[in-house]
Amino acid sequence: MVAMMHTPLRPTSPLRLVDAQPEPSSTAPEAIIRVEDLSIVFDVPRGAVIAVDRVSLAVMPGEFVSLVGPSGCGKSTLLNAMAGLERPFEGEITVAGKPMLAPRPDIGMVFQQPHLFPWKSVRRNIAHGPRALGKSKTEALRIADDLIDMIGLTKFASAYPHTLSGGMQQRVAIARALANQPRVLLMDEPFGALDAQTRAVMQDNLLELRDRINATIVFVTHDIDEAILLSDRVLIMSAGPGRILRDLSVALPRPRSSAILTDPAYLALKRDCLDLIRTEGRKAFEQMER
Amino acid sequence: MSTGGHNRATAAGRLSMLLGALSVPAFVGVWELIARSRIVNAVLFPPPSTVAVAILDWIHSGQFVGDLSASLFRVTMGFLIGTTGGIMLGVLTGRFRLVSSLLSPLFHILRPIPPIAFVPIVILWFGLSEAGKLFLVVWGVFFTVWLATHIGVQKVDRGLIRAALMLGTPRRQMLTEIVLLGALPYIVVGLRTAVSISFYTLVAAELAGAFAGIVYRIEIAQQNMQTGQVMGGLAALGLLSFVADRSFAAIAERAVWWR
Ligand SMILES: Nc1ncnc2c1ncn2[C@@H]1O[C@H](COP(=O)(O)OP(=O)(O)OP(=O)(O)O)[C@@H](O)[C@H]1O
Ligand SMILES: [Mg+2]
Repeated sequence: MVAMMHTPLRPTSPLRLVDAQPEPSSTAPEAIIRVEDLSIVFDVPRGAVIAVDRVSLAVMPGEFVSLVGPSGCGKSTLLNAMAGLERPFEGEITVAGKPMLAPRPDIGMVFQQPHLFPWKSVRRNIAHGPRALGKSKTEALRIADDLIDMIGLTKFASAYPHTLSGGMQQRVAIARALANQPRVLLMDEPFGALDAQTRAVMQDNLLELRDRINATIVFVTHDIDEAILLSDRVLIMSAGPGRILRDLSVALPRPRSSAILTDPAYLALKRDCLDLIRTEGRKAFEQMER
Repeated sequence: MSTGGHNRATAAGRLSMLLGALSVPAFVGVWELIARSRIVNAVLFPPPSTVAVAILDWIHSGQFVGDLSASLFRVTMGFLIGTTGGIMLGVLTGRFRLVSSLLSPLFHILRPIPPIAFVPIVILWFGLSEAGKLFLVVWGVFFTVWLATHIGVQKVDRGLIRAALMLGTPRRQMLTEIVLLGALPYIVVGLRTAVSISFYTLVAAELAGAFAGIVYRIEIAQQNMQTGQVMGGLAALGLLSFVADRSFAAIAERAVWWR
């Protein structure tokens, strides 16, 4: 229903149209997320691991961007840095004009595991953020109840997390992240642990939610179909240390459905992606062998 | 076939219940017989009936209430103080590296010394005052609870902490809710051990010299060769710690309420 009213953000996004300089620079001034020459290094017992290597990227307000790349290439590390959970070793990240140094409530995060507070009911898990930010109990619970309706778990409002299925838990985790009305929502393989069917339902849910919440989304995934189906842009990362290899626009109309799976434009895009990923995957594997 | 197996199983179950119900009465009965048969010295091994009379006298004399409340007070207060301190410091050392570097080595050195070994120095410091007895119980309880909390806090799922950070959870709430509840399953195990430790240390504290208390009464009775009273005291102490352990187990089951 809501998805039907959606206007495609790309390539005809109004934000793009008001851009005075149509130069597709990665540091366009109106970007909500800007990553510049970011490197992240971990100290390990036998030296240092470069997890992210001089990455630059920009995300426009309202955009849905996916990060795709082989395992261990630094996708989570990059996302954690955008969340303020990881400090840059070099370079800078700004979100909404302010440098990221610590987690901020205007940036929400959904992890691969739901990480719900096991001692709180669904309702109180979702109300946690608004309460932490000083909203009254009534107000926080009202926000939670609205979101519970939105994710279709009304009957489970007072259930504890361990009584829910993995898909339901992840929906609660998404609602919990949305309760603070973040401007940016970061998602780290949120559907990675779900079976194919649940995953498809969750993707539809997310597309629908996205039209209502009006947040910028950065989405990490292994699944190229998922990336293309959901995103305005797909960034493909190289095998570790992570760098951005390719920035592909997904110029497919919205609302999208599984019908796009047969669209020639989609197929061409997917072939591009798969070729790149396969080459990178092989490199990653050889690196491990060594 | 399967019904037969089922019957056999219930029969075995009933037998085991019957034996369980007989265990204590049978022991008391055999003891009574042996003690009355003069195989053993009845002064050193008084029959249960003598013990029961001694217990009744103890209650009627009014000393029992005084002894019970003195012992209960020491155990409960010592447990509460030691536990509170142990949990608070466990959260701090488990969560903050610098606090841990400062305190953990000290605690690890002090922890293995049996609390009973502190009796002489406690008498020098506190004399026979209540403070000294509390000190011994607190000391015994503290390290167990501290260690359980410290380990529990370190095992709190990092994902939970990150999720809480992303939601803007204030530092204070992070400690008092996320970290504390995340570690609660470990803390509860520590508390259960601490219940029995508080009774061990109570015994040491009262043997060191007191003016009332169940163990104090046992010692006085021993000096007067009132063997019945000694055994009555032992029975009271056993019953008390049994009840404490069981009620704590029941509480512990409910403490982690989301399971
Ligand atoms: N806390 C850490 N300490 C040390 N090394 C780390 C740490 N976190 C990540 N790394 C290393 O950084 C690199 C990137 O890890 P990261 O988790 O970002 O990869 P990823 O792309 O998310 O992989 P996956 O797709 O498997 O989730 C890896 O080599 C990893 O071993
Ligand atoms: Mg990852």
